[in-house]
Amino acid sequence: MNTGSRTVLPPIAVLCVAGILCALPRFVGSYVLVWIFLLAVYLTLAASYDIVGGYMGYMNLGHSTFFGLGAYATAITLNMGYPLGMALIAGVAISAVFAGLVSYPLFRLRGAYFALGTFGLISLMEVLSNNLRGLTGGSGGISTPTGDHSLESYYLAVITAIATLVMSYLLARSTFGLALFAIREDEEVARAFGTPTALYKSLALVIASIPASLIGGIYVWNVTYISPPAVFGLEIALSPVVMAMLGGTGTLMGPFIGAISLTSVQEILWTKLPYFHLTTYGVMMVLIGLFMPGGLVRSRWLKPLIDRVGLGEKTHYANVS
Amino acid sequence: MLGGIYGLAAFGLSVSFGVLNVLNLAHGEFLMIGSLAGYAAFVHLNMNPFVSAVLVIPLFVMIGVGFYLLLIRPVTDKPLHELLVASILITLGASLAIEDLTSFFWKRPVTGIDYTLAPLQVGEVVISSLRLLVLLFICILAIVLQVYLKKTFVGRAIRAITQSREGAKIVGVPISRISALTFGLGVALAASAGIFYVTLFTVTPVIGIPLTVKYLCVVVLGGLGSLVGSVVGGLILGLAEAFTAYYLGTEWSPCIAFVLLIAILIIRPSGLFGVRE
Amino acid sequence: MSTVLECQGIYRFFGGLQALQAIDFSVEQGDIVGVIGPNGAGKTTLFNVISGAIRPSSGRVIFQGRRISGYGPHRICTWGIARTYQLVRPFASLTALENVLMGVCFGRSRHPPRKERAHLAMAELEFVGLGDKAHEPAEDLTLVQKKSLEIARAMATEPKILLLDEVVSGLTPTETATLIDKIREIQARGITVIMIEHVLKVVMELCKSVMVLHYGLKIAEGSPSEVVHDPEVIKAYLGDRQGSEENSA
Ligand SMILES: Nc1ncnc2c1ncn2[C@@H]1O[C@H](COP(=O)(O)OP(=O)(O)O)[C@@H](O)[C@H]1O
Ligand SMILES: [Mg+2]
Repeated sequence: MNTGSRTVLPPIAVLCVAGILCALPRFVGSYVLVWIFLLAVYLTLAASYDIVGGYMGYMNLGHSTFFGLGAYATAITLNMGYPLGMALIAGVAISAVFAGLVSYPLFRLRGAYFALGTFGLISLMEVLSNNLRGLTGGSGGISTPTGDHSLESYYLAVITAIATLVMSYLLARSTFGLALFAIREDEEVARAFGTPTALYKSLALVIASIPASLIGGIYVWNVTYISPPAVFGLEIALSPVVMAMLGGTGTLMGPFIGAISLTSVQEILWTKLPYFHLTTYGVMMVLIGLFMPGGLVRSRWLKPLIDRVGLGEKTHYANVS
Repeated sequence: MLGGIYGLAAFGLSVSFGVLNVLNLAHGEFLMIGSLAGYAAFVHLNMNPFVSAVLVIPLFVMIGVGFYLLLIRPVTDKPLHELLVASILITLGASLAIEDLTSFFWKRPVTGIDYTLAPLQVGEVVISSLRLLVLLFICILAIVLQVYLKKTFVGRAIRAITQSREGAKIVGVPISRISALTFGLGVALAASAGIFYVTLFTVTPVIGIPLTVKYLCVVVLGGLGSLVGSVVGGLILGLAEAFTAYYLGTEWSPCIAFVLLIAILIIRPSGLFGVRE
Repeated sequence: MSTVLECQGIYRFFGGLQALQAIDFSVEQGDIVGVIGPNGAGKTTLFNVISGAIRPSSGRVIFQGRRISGYGPHRICTWGIARTYQLVRPFASLTALENVLMGVCFGRSRHPPRKERAHLAMAELEFVGLGDKAHEPAEDLTLVQKKSLEIARAMATEPKILLLDEVVSGLTPTETATLIDKIREIQARGITVIMIEHVLKVVMELCKSVMVLHYGLKIAEGSPSEVVHDPEVIKAYLGDRQGSEENSA
């Protein structure tokens, strides 16, 4: 086995990609930058979704709750006159606390019931953001101080996305990650072998909520306006799930490949087709469910390639230590 | 009132989960389609909603069986974890597609069937006799259902599979056929609940998914797999929504189901009628 | 010799079913103790109660002088009681090594330093003879290998008591013989073993004392040769044998 390339290649790849992305604004137009910005947003969401949904095997359909919460909290703090850094921290802190609180009751649900329960989380948020008009501006949405931050937010989003990927890579190789995989396989046995499962499940949700809420804050800073359907709607709720599943859950490359494919589809198809966006999602989900539960990463064409580069599916916990 | 409707549909959900291990996230969509069908039957064919509520059952059993054979059957033999993921993707995806397509073709909301009966007056109190009738009808349906599950072969088979899949297989219960039938039954229950729904409330194509979340609340509230639990859970949710709408305003009632769900999970995760552990 | 484990008046109900009734027994440090009884007697339930997977309806489990019943299984595991499962339950998609690592990383009272973990896990894998399968997913192993893996995973937690639930059932005579040697070695490491076993030969060969359960009741206890001649045990077993033969016929 080429253990050497396995540990050296990923960091090099990450550095190369980062370098290219940083230099990119000099060479390409704003259209491409906007596209990459959105890609980074989706990628962050998909990769952070995968920590709970893929590594731990709890399908969290309400992952976008953290995105929306982070966006709203950041927007509100910005409007109170605080600088961006503070606002982002506030957004992350609020949604991490929220994640910790709801994790206790929600993780008492298992399997499909958990998925459905987390779905309820979104509708709760939508109702809250619609009704707490003083704070959120209600259904009219909320605007932040205007200004063109497209370049800065491009960098921030790209950095967040890369950081999320690196975090999930390290997580998969950590003892904590090993426990999450074990919980996915058999939670009761994991507990019987000393894993404090309740605590770890909560922790996993909190960890997953951090990148999602951060990118939510960056998003609102860039677009300067959000409304309840924009951040708590079905499309944004399902995109991380679909991306992670399309690419392949529980893997590092899965969310990446999924995010690129889906944003491309959006770009190509949806700009021409005003209707049936949700139908496309729906049909795609049905097809993945029926024919490709492992996602693209585990499909015949991509698997050998990805395994070669050392970004394949297993934790390889033992190889590192 | 609304509680009875919730209970009926939610029971459909939990029965098919018990037998199939598949939670049908498109369940609410079938209520929505049922409503629209009932509405269409009323407007175009002038059909009494109670009649269509009965007629719709065999029709939707067939639709449900078709749905099962086409989309669920191919994945039922997978290991549990994969089945879970696949079934969520498939039923949720179907649900999205149904919702999106329906709202494309059915632009305006359906504001209740214009079917009224003379109100009933008991002393000072005026009771809408339509509501009373709907309630009565739901009770009858619930009783028929209970008897069906207790007495008939299919009913017994359903309960047997719910208790032990392996055991039922050994005794020779035709699991696959019963599964299809159960799924159909669940769908039909949702659809016929939908017809009552449209006699009382506004229906739009987007109500499906929020409704499915409400069923979850009802099912957890009442305890998994218990018909009595589902009906009581439904009643509680209906009441809670009415109270919320009254005291806080209607805009708050959509989230009460979730709040109830969280509360029951903290206080008594097994539900009101569930067995502990 | 001192008592490591003591069960005091354990009851466990499942709805109306009495799976365990008034179970009293104690286990001496370093012994191999057998638990036998017909199917459905409550043996696995007893293990579940001891390891904390389920709570007793009433009664107490005392481990090294401390009450452990009522605590979660993860606590009990780190205190020193590890188990295997009758129907094997390895973490299917994880490799054999990762399975054992779970025991090393989480099941011990003290977490070993990160650098040593893989070696410790590897040592347990080699102990059960799975050294060359370390990087295979557990789901690809054969039944014996899975059972061995479960033992390795349990041993990786440095247990004081090892609970073995029908480890030799379904194995060939040679495989059984190897496993018997392993269990002796485990005992030689100072670990108390409680084993549920259907194969009487194994029990006779290994166990110092045996407890017999029948419909949740302890109907006999003593040395293996005493117990197999106990009239009540014979009745329980023969009654059961006849019943099951009729069923299968
Ligand atoms: N979690 C459970 N829920 C309900 N009944 C159970 C449960 N676990 C075991 N039982 C019942 O308790 C009895 C004893 O089971 P068990 O301990 O597995 O027997 P065995 O001696 O064969 O290991 C059986 O009748 C079984 O059906
Ligand atoms: Mg047993």
